[in-house]
Amino acid sequence: MISVSHLSKYFDGKPAVKDISVEYSPGECSLIIGASGSGKTVLLKSIVGLLEPDEGEVVFDGTVFNKLPFEEKKKTRSRIGMLFQGSALFDFATAMENVMFPLDFFSQMSRAEKIERAAFCLRRVGLENVEGKYPSELSGGMQKRVGIARAIALNPQYLFCDEPNSGLDPQTSVMIDRLIQEITREYNITTVINTHDMNSVMEIGDKVMFIYQGEKRWEGSKDEILTADNRELEEFIFASRMARELKLRYGNGNPSRD
Amino acid sequence: MGSLSVNSAALIRDFLYETGRYLLFLKLVFRKPEKWRLSARQFFIEAGKLVINSIPLIALISVFIGAVLVIQTSNNMTSPFLPKMYIGYMARESLILEFCSTMVCLILAGKIGSNISSEIGTMRITEQIDAMEMMGINSANFLVLPKILATTLLNPLLTLMSFIMGLIGGYLIISLTGMIKVADYIEGLRFAFNGYYITYSIVKTAVFSFIISSISSYYGYYAAGGSLGVGRSATKAIVAASAAILIFNLILTRIML
Repeated sequence: MISVSHLSKYFDGKPAVKDISVEYSPGECSLIIGASGSGKTVLLKSIVGLLEPDEGEVVFDGTVFNKLPFEEKKKTRSRIGMLFQGSALFDFATAMENVMFPLDFFSQMSRAEKIERAAFCLRRVGLENVEGKYPSELSGGMQKRVGIARAIALNPQYLFCDEPNSGLDPQTSVMIDRLIQEITREYNITTVINTHDMNSVMEIGDKVMFIYQGEKRWEGSKDEILTADNRELEEFIFASRMARELKLRYGNGNPSRD
Repeated sequence: MGSLSVNSAALIRDFLYETGRYLLFLKLVFRKPEKWRLSARQFFIEAGKLVINSIPLIALISVFIGAVLVIQTSNNMTSPFLPKMYIGYMARESLILEFCSTMVCLILAGKIGSNISSEIGTMRITEQIDAMEMMGINSANFLVLPKILATTLLNPLLTLMSFIMGLIGGYLIISLTGMIKVADYIEGLRFAFNGYYITYSIVKTAVFSFIISSISSYYGYYAAGGSLGVGRSATKAIVAASAAILIFNLILTRIML
C-alpha cells in the first residue's frame, strides 16, 4: 500500500504539483492521467524520491519514505521497480546484463542463479534470443519489455511506469499494458502508471486519477471515467476525433468490446 | 558601472554555487562502493577506455613535439661557443618540465574530458542515472569513482611514455637530418639529470588527471536540456578543466620547484 498525502512540488516558486493525496493498493494498476505538462512525471518522481517533495508525505507500507535518511531510502528503493519513459536501459550492457544489473548489486545469488533469474524475467516478458543484444539493437517495444524485465528482476513490491507505451504502435502498446497488468496481478504488486493514453486507461485502469495543471481533478475507475462530470477531464478524453466519433456513436456509455 | 558590479556579483555567486555543488558531488563520489568487485571491474574498463586508448594519440604528438623542440633549439643556438649537446639537454628539460605533464594533460582534457562528460551527460538525459538511483545504487560513486581512479593512477604512465617518445622524436630528427651528432644529443640527454623533475612531472599529471576526470564527470552528471545540454556540458567541462589545469600548474610549480 502506498499512501500519498498533501504532496506539493514547486519549481522557482511555481507549483508543478499541488496538494495531491491518493492511495494505491497491491494487485491494482493505478493510472495517473493528464495532458503533457500537467505534472504527472513530477508527481511520479516525487513519489519514488527522484524529486524531493516540498510538502506532504509519501508512505510505503507504514514507512514515511520521503523523510528517510539516504541509506534507509536505498533499502526501500530495492523493493521498487521502475520503467522509464525511454526505457533507460544501460547502453554499455546487453539485454541480459541490464536485467542482471540489480541482481549483481542486491542479491546474494550465484552467477548461475542470476543468469537463470534474468533469463526467466526476459522469457516472462516474451523475449527470447535477445540476451546478447545491446539496447541500440532492439526495437522500442523490445526495449520496454527489457525495461519491465529489469524492473521485476528483484521481485519488487511496487512498480512505477512512466509513459510505458509512448512512441509505440497501438498493438505493441496494448501488449505492454496487458503485460504490466498480468505482472501486477501475478505478483500482487502495487503498480502506478503515468500515461496520457486513453487506450491504456480502458485496458488496465483499475483506479484512475486525472490531474490538471498540477492539481487532482478527478478520481475513479475506468468504468466511471466516460460518464464523469468534469469539464477538463471530458476535454482530455474526447480530444481526438476518433474519441468524439465513438462518443456520438455510443453516447456516454462504455462501448462493449464485442 | 552599476551593471558591471551586478555582473561581477552574479559571476562570483555562480562560481561559489558551482564550487559548492562540485564539492558535494565529490562527497557523493568518494563513498564506499556498494560492491567492490563491480567497481574494480569498472576500473579496468575505464582504464582501457580512457588511458590505454589515449596511448596512440599521446605517442604520436610526443614524437613530433620532441622533433620540433630539437629543430627549434638548434635554430636558436647559433653561437659556436655553446656546445651542441645543449640541444639534447634543452629538449629533455622542456619535455619533462612542461610538455609531458601540462601540455599532455591539456590535450587529454579535450580527449577524455569530452568523452567522460558526454557519456555521463547522455546517461543523465536518457534517465539511465535515474534508473540506477531508483535501484538504490549510488550512481556518482559507481560511474565516476572508477574514472577518477583510473586516470589519476594511470595517466602518470602516459607522462613517462610521452617523455620517452619525445626523446625518440628528437633522436629521429637528428638521425634523419644530421643537424648535430647523435653522440652530442645523447650526451645532452644525460647531462645534469635531476630525477626530482620526474617526480614533479608525475605529481602534476596525477593532479591534472584528477581535475580532468572529476570536473568532466561533474558537468556530465548535472547535464540538462537534451542533446544540446550534453554538448554544452562537454564544452564547459573542457574549458573549466583547462583553466583549472593552468591555475594548478602555477600553484604546483611554485610549491614544488
